[in-house]
Amino acid sequence: MYKKSRARYFFLMPGVVWILAFTFFPLIFSLYLSFTNANMRNFTQATWNLVGFQNYASIGSDLRVGETVVTSLYLTVGSTLLTLTLGTFLAWLFNHDLPGLRIFRSILTMPLFAAPIALGFMGLILFNETSGSINSIIRGLGGTGVRWMTDSWSARTAVLLLDTWQWSPFVFVIILAAMQSIPEELYEAARLDTGSGWAVFRSITFPLIAPALGTVALLRLVETFKILDIPFSMLGGGPGSATQTYSYYVYITGLRNFNMGYASALAYILVIIAIIISTVYFWRVRARFE
Amino acid sequence: MATLKKEAVMQPVRAVQIGRSPLARILLWVAVLMAVIWVLYPFVWAVITSFKTQREALEPTIVPFLQFQPSAENWSAELGLGARETTLALGNSIAISIGATVLATVLGTLTGYALARFRYGIGNRNIVSWVLSQRFLPPVATLIPFFLVLQRLQMIDTVPGLILVNTTFTLPFAILIMRDFFADFPDEIEEAALVDGANPLQIFLRVALPLATPAITAAAIICFAFAWNEYLFASVIAPKDAKPYTFLVASTSTVRGVHFGYLATRMLIAITLPVVLSLFVQRYIVRGLSLGAVKG
Repeated sequence: MYKKSRARYFFLMPGVVWILAFTFFPLIFSLYLSFTNANMRNFTQATWNLVGFQNYASIGSDLRVGETVVTSLYLTVGSTLLTLTLGTFLAWLFNHDLPGLRIFRSILTMPLFAAPIALGFMGLILFNETSGSINSIIRGLGGTGVRWMTDSWSARTAVLLLDTWQWSPFVFVIILAAMQSIPEELYEAARLDTGSGWAVFRSITFPLIAPALGTVALLRLVETFKILDIPFSMLGGGPGSATQTYSYYVYITGLRNFNMGYASALAYILVIIAIIISTVYFWRVRARFE
Repeated sequence: MATLKKEAVMQPVRAVQIGRSPLARILLWVAVLMAVIWVLYPFVWAVITSFKTQREALEPTIVPFLQFQPSAENWSAELGLGARETTLALGNSIAISIGATVLATVLGTLTGYALARFRYGIGNRNIVSWVLSQRFLPPVATLIPFFLVLQRLQMIDTVPGLILVNTTFTLPFAILIMRDFFADFPDEIEEAALVDGANPLQIFLRVALPLATPAITAAAIICFAFAWNEYLFASVIAPKDAKPYTFLVASTSTVRGVHFGYLATRMLIAITLPVVLSLFVQRYIVRGLSLGAVKG
């Protein structure tokens, strides 16, 4: 009776209407724009005409797209792998009976809430080639300073390392939660069979955290493909355009050069990827929402 | 009942026991210490740099007083009386974040309650998935339509324009946190109130809402932090009068050249509030950030 009460729409609707108005309407508008030549060349009001699939056709011949995809893929794959490895290691580390676990966990989650745009500046300070502390450490250990700001792949790596620093804690908290839900009896049984910690990890812990790892990997993939703030504030997309990610390129095309129709088409490729990944994701986890 | 529930969640976490050998213990502690240093190092470095003058910032020195003479010059330049630009931007950030937090929390509490307590024909899990799937969308995809619509509504460079944007981005977190809270919370009291003849709105306002205060606070804090950190839309929608602090920070290097100490100061001001607030919502971080997939 209560569960089906007519009042249920009163509670649900405000949020749903908001999402329809401010997420789904813009999304459909943007799909429409992707078939137009929308631009704001007069810098005051945008104008557009339908041009069919012309924008999508020009993506293939856009030489800039290739490099931005390479940068984005490097960051996406690199950051997903690094954060998963480091995060899992940290989770394993803190899953021992250490005193003060909660304090450590709080400290470790701090990077997650730092504004990425500010982190770019942190990168600028840390990775500075002459006075930055990272090159100082490398030199102190006998190496030669890395050209973080002037070499394309080093600059991409600096962005990758900053992103890894920020998001490893995310993997850490989720995998730690997964590890802590493993019943103690399983460990006790395993310890009777083997004395090796690695064997216990491989045969008990890993298989049981594997689903959570899959979930986190999907979230990381989606999140890193959006990266824009860190390269933006750290290097302005440079050196040259080495740290311009795909999202960054969409942003510049649409809102610096005001080529909005073409930018919408570029963005829609990302939307389709996002829809595919989110379908897989929620198909996996939606049973929890019943 | 509320306290019982809380204790069940807060009980000390069970963990794998460390081997008896002292060597294993030492190795473990070394690893823990390294992890903490790794996380804190950039923060500490930024704090040190913020107390250096430009000339000192070019030297990789660490220890104040011994290696360099700390100076509060950067901090007073940024937060002192003459810093009108900073005051304005921080004021905008606070207005935008609070506005978005209030809206998202109110809408999120209503919708979260709805999804936990009632049944819908479409299937509740489908609605929740649909709500959360927004977090997968690349923001650049909705940036252009938002810009064009706000331009038509003459809401470019206004605080309400950015409140609207940030409410939209943070709403899924608020809905998720509130839905999870009500779904885990026994509904016997509400059932009893129903038997006593209260209508659903009265039950929500007088019974459910007061019990949900901790979850509402957590949802509000998480929404506030995300709204505070937003940069992309601000850079397009509010470049001048309604400029929030993140956007001011982003324009630093172009204004004064790369001045490390000053940069570090601004960076620290930008990140402190959300980072400190996050320490109060530890229990909700896992669920919120995994979009409900993992219970923390």
